[in-house]
Amino acid sequence: MSAPFSDSLSMTAYLATAVVLGLFFGFFLERAGFSSALKLTAQFYFKDFAVLKVMFTAIVIAMLGIVYLSLVGWLNMSQVYIPATFLWPQLLGGLLLGFGFIVGGY
Amino acid sequence: MGAEAIPRMPVPLTAEQVEAMSQRLIKKHHVAIILLHWFNATVWLTELATGAALISSPHFRIAPYWYISMVQGFFGTRAHMLQFHITVGLTWLVVFLVYGIFGFRTYLRKEVVDREVKLDGDDWRWLWVRTRLILKRTRESLPPQGVYNAGQKLFAALVYTMIPVIMLSGLVMSFHLVSTSLVQWAIVAHFAAVGMIVSGLIIHVYMGAVFPEEKPAFFSMLTGMVNELYAYRHHFKWWQEVKMQEQVWKREVLEDEGEAPPAAPPGPDWTAEAPSPQPHSRFGAVLQRTFRGPEYWPPYVAGVGLGLTLLASFVIMGEGLGASGGFTRYLVAVLAWISPHYVAANGYWSEYAQPGQSPLINFLVFELIGVVLGGFVSGWLAGRVRFAVDKGPRVTRATRLAMALAGGILMGFGARLARGCTSGLALSGGAVLAAGAWAFMLAVFAAGFAGAYFIRRFWL
Repeated sequence: MSAPFSDSLSMTAYLATAVVLGLFFGFFLERAGFSSALKLTAQFYFKDFAVLKVMFTAIVIAMLGIVYLSLVGWLNMSQVYIPATFLWPQLLGGLLLGFGFIVGGY
Repeated sequence: MGAEAIPRMPVPLTAEQVEAMSQRLIKKHHVAIILLHWFNATVWLTELATGAALISSPHFRIAPYWYISMVQGFFGTRAHMLQFHITVGLTWLVVFLVYGIFGFRTYLRKEVVDREVKLDGDDWRWLWVRTRLILKRTRESLPPQGVYNAGQKLFAALVYTMIPVIMLSGLVMSFHLVSTSLVQWAIVAHFAAVGMIVSGLIIHVYMGAVFPEEKPAFFSMLTGMVNELYAYRHHFKWWQEVKMQEQVWKREVLEDEGEAPPAAPPGPDWTAEAPSPQPHSRFGAVLQRTFRGPEYWPPYVAGVGLGLTLLASFVIMGEGLGASGGFTRYLVAVLAWISPHYVAANGYWSEYAQPGQSPLINFLVFELIGVVLGGFVSGWLAGRVRFAVDKGPRVTRATRLAMALAGGILMGFGARLARGCTSGLALSGGAVLAAGAWAFMLAVFAAGFAGAYFIRRFWL
C-alpha cells in the first residue's frame, strides 16, 4: 500500500471522494459551531476559544497521522502537496485575511 | 378569527375578513424542504444542460450543434463533461438517500404519501372540473383542495416515480452494470423518464413563475410562508386543518395558564418536525444527544473529527482540505465561459484554465459541494437550520451585511495574495509544517486580535 492514491483513482472516483471528504469537513465544522459568526468572533474578545482549540486539535491529529504513516512507509511524503513559502505575501495576506475575518465575521 | 366555528365549505368573505386574511401569514414549507427544492432545481438544470449536450449522435441529438460545442468548450472535452454529469448525478443520489433515510419517519411517509401524492374524491372531481373549465364547458366552482391541488399531486406522483428510474438507469449507464443489453435499455429508460419529467416541469415552471394566481406559491418556496387568503381560496381543506390545529393550540394555552389567550397568537408550526420518541437504550440516548442534540460538540471532539478528515484527505488525495482555491476556480470557469481570450491573456487565471481542461474538474471544486451538504446535514440533525443574520446586538442588519461584504473582500484579496485561506493554507499547510503556513496563521490571529479592539461595538 502506498498512499496517496489520487493517481490511481478514476476521474469519477476522484471527484466523488472529494465530495465525501467535503461532507465530513462541512459536518465537523458545523458541529464545532463554525457556522456562527458570533461564536467565531468571540475568540477575538477572549470569550470562547473554540476556534483555536478545534483548529489546533485538527492540525496535531493530522500531523501525527502523517508522521506515523510516512514512518511506517505507507504514505509517500514526496507526493504530498506542501504549500510553498512566500514569506512577505503570506504575512501581508494573513494580516488582510485576519482583519477581514473580524470585520466580516467568518 | 377567534374561537368561532370553522366553516365546512368555503363561504363568501366580508371585506374586513379579506383584509385581515391577506395580512396574516401561515407557514407552508419547512426550511429543509425549501433548500431541497432549490438544490433539486439546480441539479436538474445542470444535468439537463450537460445531458442535452452529451447526446451528440446525429440521429438522436435534441440540442443544436452550436449548443453542444459551446457546452463542451466550457468543460474542455466531452469526457470531462460526462464525468461532471455523472458526479453531479451521484451527489444528487446521495443527498436523496440521506434525505430518505433520515427523513422517512418524520417527513416522507406522512408528508409525501398522504399530502403530496394520494388523490381523494375531491381531487378527481377537481381534475374533471378543471379540465372542463379550461375547455369553457362549465362554470362550476372547483372542489376544495388540500395543501397541494390535484394537478400538483399528479406532477409529484410523476416525479417520485421517475426519479428512481433516472437514478437506477444512470447508475447502470455510468458503471456499465450487468450486460450491454441492459445498458442499452437503461439509455432508453433514462431518456424516457427525463422526457416525462420535463413535460411536467414545463407546466410546473409556468404555473410557478408566470401564472399570476399562483404567485404566492412561488414566494412560499422562498420564504416558507403564504398569506391566509391564498390558503383559503386555493387550498381550503388545508386552511381548515391549520385552523383546527390553531384551536387545539389555543385550548391548550387556556388550560395551561387558566386565562385568556394572548391577543395575537403565533401561527401553528405544524411543519416542524415532531419530537422524536425517547430512545430505549442508554446507547441510543447517547447517539440521540450526540447527533440530534442542540448543543455544539466539545471543541476537542470536533477537532479530532476534523483532524481525521484532514488526514484522510492527505492520504487519499495527497493534499489537504481547502476553500478559497475552489471559489477561484468557480470564478475562472465563469470568466472563461464569458470570454476565454480574457482568461488566457491573464497570467494568473490562465493557470487554472489550461486548454482542454475545465477549471471545474478539481478536488476543491467538488469538496466545496460536500462542505455545503455536510454542514447542512449537521445543522439539520441538530435543528439549527434557519434563515438568520448573525450579528452583534448594537448594529442593524444592513450594517452587518455591509460589514460581511467588506470583510469578504479583504479576506478574498488576502487569501489570493497568500495563496491560501484559513483552511487551505493555515490548517492544511500547518499540518505538514509549511513555514509560510505558520507565518500566515500568526498574521491572521495577530490581525484578528488587534482589529477586534477597534470594531468592538460591531460585535459586543
